[in-house]
Amino acid sequence: MMEFKGSREAFVAALVEIAEKDPRVVFISADSLKAARATTFADRFPDRYFEAGLAEQNAVAIAAGLAACGLKPYVITYGGFITMRACEQVRTFCAYPELDVTFAGLNGGLIGGEREGVTHQSIEDVGIMRTIPGITVFEPADAAETYALAKAAAGIRGPVYFRLGSGREPDVFPAGIDVEVGKLRKVMDYGADVALISTGFVLDRVIGAAEILKKEGIGAVVASVHAVKPLDADGIVGLLSSCKAAVTVEDHNVVGGLGSAVAELAADRCPTRIARLGIQDRFPESGPASELADKYGLSAASIADAARKLVAAKPA
Amino acid sequence: MDIDTGRIADFARRIRKDIVEMVYLAKDGHPGPALSITDIVATLYDSVLRIDPGNPRWDGRDRLILSKGHSCTAVYSALARKGYFSPSILPELRALGSILQGHPVMDKTPGIDMTSGSLGNGLSIGVGMALASAYTKKGFDVFVITGDGELQEGIVWEGALSAAKYRLGRLIVFVDRNGWQSGSTCDEVGGRCPILPRFEAFGWHCQEIDGHDIRAIASAVEAARKETGRPSAIIADTVKGKGVPFMENDNSWHKRVPTKEQYEEAMSVLSERAT
Repeated sequence: MMEFKGSREAFVAALVEIAEKDPRVVFISADSLKAARATTFADRFPDRYFEAGLAEQNAVAIAAGLAACGLKPYVITYGGFITMRACEQVRTFCAYPELDVTFAGLNGGLIGGEREGVTHQSIEDVGIMRTIPGITVFEPADAAETYALAKAAAGIRGPVYFRLGSGREPDVFPAGIDVEVGKLRKVMDYGADVALISTGFVLDRVIGAAEILKKEGIGAVVASVHAVKPLDADGIVGLLSSCKAAVTVEDHNVVGGLGSAVAELAADRCPTRIARLGIQDRFPESGPASELADKYGLSAASIADAARKLVAAKPA
Repeated sequence: MDIDTGRIADFARRIRKDIVEMVYLAKDGHPGPALSITDIVATLYDSVLRIDPGNPRWDGRDRLILSKGHSCTAVYSALARKGYFSPSILPELRALGSILQGHPVMDKTPGIDMTSGSLGNGLSIGVGMALASAYTKKGFDVFVITGDGELQEGIVWEGALSAAKYRLGRLIVFVDRNGWQSGSTCDEVGGRCPILPRFEAFGWHCQEIDGHDIRAIASAVEAARKETGRPSAIIADTVKGKGVPFMENDNSWHKRVPTKEQYEEAMSVLSERAT
């Protein structure tokens, strides 16, 4: 069974396997070869590795040109640079023409960006990508799921954005775990008091919160959502309708990410009391991943607090 | 290159009439910058591009990216007259439900190889296509038509560096140097900086031509195609509004709709004279 040191390594391992089977697959770097842990790809397929230089707009535009000629490019670099600096190239030249370009954004959130500080911490990437029509947005929960999802999603038409980490994200799932693309995964089921809906590398913290709540007699369901767009609408509505309240948890600004997506869905189909946890619309700072996430409200204790308050405030 | 300059001149005149008529009927569009590239477009579609209008998605075709997408009426006309779709569709420019969008869209209009219109992006996308040509061994050429104003966009020079680094001899970029952009002259808006030395500094093969001289356009492509180890820039001196005297070098025609009288005058002039 393959084990990986983080989501970057897992993603590239999947990419190499996909490329072995499909000669249309190519990789574009924006001086991100090492950061992406992609030297294995470049060594294995030197004629399929294109270095665009430290120029993300150029990297994405080159990917668009390759895809318009029938190839399947993967662009891997820091998530903030793909989604902010090259946002227009993603939107107008990849998404609008429905080209098969896959993006992997490194340093997702605080756990991914940690000591680099705000410039390299992507806390808006999911929200930005989610507003672009026709794009698929994935936030895997750990390295094992990243590997499974990257392989399973290789046939998706149109652009796909994967949110990856720094390599220090905790492992939650066993190596070799399968994934059903687009479907939420119920990780724990301690009752129907509250649904804890998690995306990305905070899943271990959400599981920790469910354990705290359980000891207090509050039963939580923990669901891990790897597809923020398109959302598993039926799966989420099922959770919302079966629980008294819901808490969304993400290592992202609470504007635009999973919390927004779930709240939008709830407004449409299943009005529910929802607490949206994540970075509360402010800029974070440098710091070690775990302590940083704790400070910005993503500790298991903070998640449990929010859930407890929500459940208590709920009219009987 | 063996070309029929008379036939191409007639083709160019046909395109110019279509441009004026499309903008007049749509009551919207950019006649000036379309007229400046018309002789380049006519020469490319008549004698240069290896294409098959009956098979617009043939994977071995030469690609053309109209980076200055607001000039799309020139290319829409050329595509219609080459048989990609019926010329009867041309008056539907910018209409609801039309295949002729305000700027080119690759999946809506047969013959459009790349979506464009957000300025500056065509060259980098052309780098990707030229890399694809080499990797797939299809051996097609990639042509980009860019304005001179849009060279102010930084991504142009990101792409220029990559093109030289990868020795993309199949990438041929026409710079439509008409001297104007939306607001005023390029010098006034963006600052003066000669174009040819810039491309040369990036390692490109460079030529300067009269962008209304059909033979010069064809010869420049021929020379560019011989440069297999580096990309080519063909800097074409053009006149914005070329062919319609009252539009020439009058930047108000960057985006403007002719009146009935102006339309009739333009069509009359274009019917009389070879350009």
